[in-house]
Order: sequence, then structure tokens, then C-alpha cells
Amino acid sequence: GPCRVPMTMTEIRAGFTAIKAKIQARDPIRTLSILSHPHSLHKVKSSDRCCITHHLLNFYVDKVFRHCKTEDSFINRKISSIANSFLSVRRKLEQCREQNKCTCGQESTEKFNQVLANYEGLNVTSAAMKSLGELDILLDWMEKS
Amino acid sequence: LLEILGEDTWLPAPQNISMLSTNMKHFLTWNPVIIQGETVRYSVEFQGEYERDYGNESWIPTWECSLITATVCNLTEDISAPVPYNLRVRAHVGLRRSEWGTLKGFFNPLTTSLTPPLMKVIADGYHLLVELEDMGPAFQFCVLYWKKGQESRMQQKVVKEVRSVVHLDIMEPGADYCVKAQTHVEVINRSSSFSQTQCVRTQG
Repeated sequence: GPCRVPMTMTEIRAGFTAIKAKIQARDPIRTLSILSHPHSLHKVKSSDRCCITHHLLNFYVDKVFRHCKTEDSFINRKISSIANSFLSVRRKLEQCREQNKCTCGQESTEKFNQVLANYEGLNVTSAAMKSLGELDILLDWMEKS
Repeated sequence: LLEILGEDTWLPAPQNISMLSTNMKHFLTWNPVIIQGETVRYSVEFQGEYERDYGNESWIPTWECSLITATVCNLTEDISAPVPYNLRVRAHVGLRRSEWGTLKGFFNPLTTSLTPPLMKVIADGYHLLVELEDMGPAFQFCVLYWKKGQESRMQQKVVKEVRSVVHLDIMEPGADYCVKAQTHVEVINRSSSFSQTQCVRTQG
């Protein structure tokens, strides 16, 4: 869409790949998904992609990363790298939003509310760790858009 | 200025802290603290924009630089996002620790200095090839090439992933072809200057 953020997935994906197994091992509830329940992100219309992307960047920055601190300093460092990269991407998307090229339709609002409902359906630490473990779902979707 | 102090006085914080950043490789350096007859070690921590704004201004210990004796720390792995970072280092002697010495001002990877890539131009029969230095996943290359004397008909090739050899063109016999290249880093949206021009001649 109009708001294609030149985001370096390589750095973020490398950081996530380095901790993915450890993070997903901390998520005992494998039958639930935060991002993909009931519908996959891939069903979102292209006109809603920018808005959903912005919502999800906010979601991870405001709600997820802060509840993922662990006793493992390697994991903490990689989460820091990812979180700071998300801030940088969000700032670029802000510029786009200010030019009104990132409008929010009904579908994106509904989709994001569903993500929040999934998140709030679990205790905060489990929800945050599960969301972090699903980061590759988000990265795959953002890379495809 | 090196601090040379007696045995049981407090431990001074490292001074003259600075960041050397080239081609997205970031090295923090500082002056050594010297205590007669003691081994002084150092620990480095960083704080990104996220930690300041969302993480209660927390600091994160680096992996490679905890209790090291060197006075340089490779922070490339830890500070990869294009946001402002605070950096600090302190000295240790046994159980004694100094105050933190903090880098003056933020460091943002956006400000890294970019150098042109090392490049080797090859005439393989009538094929014009170029070998480019592998500078890491964040780097792309813009390669310009032209037949000598026809600078106005310069051609461009963007190389997103470094392969050992890049094929540029089929050359005419007995002609000179010239090549130059620059690096581009998408995450900071900046490019280096161009390399020196290298020319080769085809046989015939």
C-alpha cells in the first residue's frame, strides 16, 4: 500500500530467530493464538494493512515487550533490539499516518479488537510471551505486504 | 589522561568514552583506569529509546563486555536499531566498582560512517564481472559500469545480496570497460561514496 515502510526485517528476524525456541518453550498453551484466532492476518484487505500494522506495532511496544523480561540476559538483549527496531518503524509509519495514507476501516478495527480480546483472555505474562512467540507470524505478514 | 592511583582509594570511573562506528559496526572505547598491582576489569551497559520510554529507564548489560580487561567493546549485536542509545561503562577491581562513566550524548546507528565496498573487476573472456566485499546482511550495493569514453551511457545494477561474483555485461572485443560501486543500507536509508573506478580491457 501507500505506506510501505522500508523496514529491515533481516535485523528483526535475526534477533527473533535467536530466541524463538526459548520463547516458544515458555508458552505452554499451544492451542490458542493471539494473532491468528479466529482469522489469519493474511485475510486482511490491502487497504487495511497499514492501519493494522500500526495497531500491532503499538500493541507490541505498549503491551507485549514490557512483560517479557526474563532471567536470561541473552533473551533480554534480543528483545531490546527488536523493541527498539519496532519504535523506529512506528516512527516512520507515524509520518505516513500524518499524511492520512493509513486510514482505518471497520475490518481493521474489528481485527485488532479480536487480537486484544485474545490477549486479555490470558494472564498478562502468558499473553505477552505467546504474542512474542508469534512474532514470526507478524513478520511474515508484514514482509508479504 | 590515565588515572594512576594508590591501592585503597575509590575506583575512578572510566574517562574519554567514545563510539567508533563504521559500516554498521559499533565499538565503544575508553581510557584505561590503572591501579598499581591490580587487574582492572570493565562492564558495559546500553539503554535504547525503548528502555527510556517504556522500560523504566532500565539499562541492559552487554553480553560480550561484562568484566573484560580490554578497553574496547563491540556493541554491534546489541545496538542494531536506528534509535538513540545511551551507553555507559564502569571499572571493577575485585569487589570494588567505580561509578558509571557515560558516553556524552546519544549514539544512533543512523550516524555510522559508510565506506565504499572493496571491489575487484574481472574480464572473463567477453564477460564483465565484479567481486564485491561481503559487508553483512544490512548492506546492498549500487554498481555503475560503462564502456570507456561512453560515460553518458553508464549503466547501473543494484545488488541486494552479495554473491561471490556478479555478472555485469557482455563486452565488445578490444574495448575498455570501467566500474565503480557504492554501498546502501536500507535501515538507515544512506549510501557510501563511490569506490575508485576500476577498468579492464577485453581481449581481441
